[in-house]
Amino acid sequence: MTLEGSGEAIRLVGVRKVFPGTDQPAVDGLSLDVPEGRIVALVGPSGCGKTTTLKMINRLVEPTAGEIYVQGTEVHSISAPELRRRIGYVIQQIGLFPHRTVEANIATVPRLLRWERARIRDRVHELVELVGLDPGLLRRYPSELSGGQQQRVGVARALAADPPVLLMDEPYSAVDPIVRARLQDELLALQARVHKTIVLVTHDVDEAIKLGDCVAVLDVGGLLQQYGPPAELLRAPANDFVARFLGRERGLKRLALLTTDDVDLIEGPVVPVDVTVDVARSRMAEFGVEWVGVRDGETLLGWTWGADLNGSGRVGDGPLQRFMAAVAPGAPLRETLDAIVLSHTRVAVVVDDANRYLGMITIEQISEGIR
Amino acid sequence: MTARVLANGPDSFVWWAWVGDHLDDVRDRTVEHVQLTLWAVGIGLVIAMALATLSLRFRWTYGPITWATGVLYTIPSIALFFFLVPILGLGFRTALIPLVSYTLLILVRNIVEGVDGVPEAVKEAADGMGYEPWRRFVSVDLRLATPAIVAGVRIASVTIVGLVTVTALVGAGGYGAFITDGLSRRFSTPIVVGTTLSVALAVVLDVALVIVERLLTPWARRGVAVR
Repeated sequence: MTLEGSGEAIRLVGVRKVFPGTDQPAVDGLSLDVPEGRIVALVGPSGCGKTTTLKMINRLVEPTAGEIYVQGTEVHSISAPELRRRIGYVIQQIGLFPHRTVEANIATVPRLLRWERARIRDRVHELVELVGLDPGLLRRYPSELSGGQQQRVGVARALAADPPVLLMDEPYSAVDPIVRARLQDELLALQARVHKTIVLVTHDVDEAIKLGDCVAVLDVGGLLQQYGPPAELLRAPANDFVARFLGRERGLKRLALLTTDDVDLIEGPVVPVDVTVDVARSRMAEFGVEWVGVRDGETLLGWTWGADLNGSGRVGDGPLQRFMAAVAPGAPLRETLDAIVLSHTRVAVVVDDANRYLGMITIEQISEGIR
Repeated sequence: MTARVLANGPDSFVWWAWVGDHLDDVRDRTVEHVQLTLWAVGIGLVIAMALATLSLRFRWTYGPITWATGVLYTIPSIALFFFLVPILGLGFRTALIPLVSYTLLILVRNIVEGVDGVPEAVKEAADGMGYEPWRRFVSVDLRLATPAIVAGVRIASVTIVGLVTVTALVGAGGYGAFITDGLSRRFSTPIVVGTTLSVALAVVLDVALVIVERLLTPWARRGVAVR
């Protein structure tokens, strides 16, 4: 059974799961398409069926009804072990084999697939590099590794046979916040290289927003409440449940996802270095500010208080202060906002690598941009 | 003290000359004792493995299996030895059956509990990687249960070494032959020899099994914490 020309790596159609001995379905009528090469985060409170949903994809849990396709293949058309060898799987407790070395752990699926020794060895070394592990750890046993190292081994093991699809069940809940943030960044960097289709289950909405290209919010009973890019969910939550689940500071969370490219830059109260103080003063009046920026051609020199401009000379004659709040184009708006609130001028200037002045951003621009 | 040693003879607690004259017997009884112990524990382990596999596969069988092996365990060994004599006659087989039945409770329980003790996450990861159930059972579950299984084998072996001293009564030889001989003649030397050797054998076997366990579980020796 193959869905011809489907752009979806994983497709759930009307999936339902009722565990024996219960009346309430754990997952009910769930349909979801996971696009190829994207990270989809399943998020929701406990009891929302997110883990059950994930485990139905690799058949660790058998659905009561509905169809599930992985890379166009209905999961029940092949044997469960065969299916699982094509799908990487990472769990919260990691579940490394304590009786096997790191090397043997990573080699698990290639061995099950009966790869040749040399090929397995090469692949293991490639993976160690990919996930940022010290090759000196290969001969160690899992109990000799730190939590973060174990997590990397778990990811390397899941990726060993180069599966197109990766399932991750609360992969970072067991590590401390600092390690978690680093592992999340590593996953994004890794994904930029390998382009897997990843389904990630988390109860942490911030993790879902940070990692997911798309986020699916589930309510208790496996009811899909909203599915879309995180910025979209934050901008327009489908209902109260989603809004409450996304939590307070929805605007700030969106700012973390948007960049300076998402707002219109303004030229601002900036004048060429050789104009007279009068010109500068009228420019300040135009913007209603007490300071003025000074540029030489495309280069921004700095700024000065209007009160410090002296008499009838040129603006460049007086001392200039540097703009503290300078950001690169493409910087997250959250970082930009932080720069703005800390600066005297209440603006962030956008300056590119070649030190060219591109424009400035005020709180008004940000506010417009996220509306 | 010196006088007593010089005066060593048939009436002494241990008559060393007798020991020196019976080294061939010591060797033969040792072979018998070791053989009987190894066969009993070996066959016991095979049967226990089958029963444990059944218990793990069909959970409801675990209760009846522990009950049945528990009953076998509580039957006094001497009673069972003599019960079998009219059926199987004197000899090796008659000795072996009670010995095997004695190992089952300990071994079945240790295997089942050892496998149950394998962390759920490890089992789930193995399933998720695409292990077939039987393959996971052999190369993950049983492998990780090795310490518990070896612990069971150690207890069973030491117990059986002790029990084998009784099997001389049904004509299966072993160190017990020295003891029955000494008792029948009111002659202490063979009793001391038989008892000492069986204790020594139990210790040697236990140490050997500890070494085997170390070789089988290289992962347990290293690392700060075994998860």
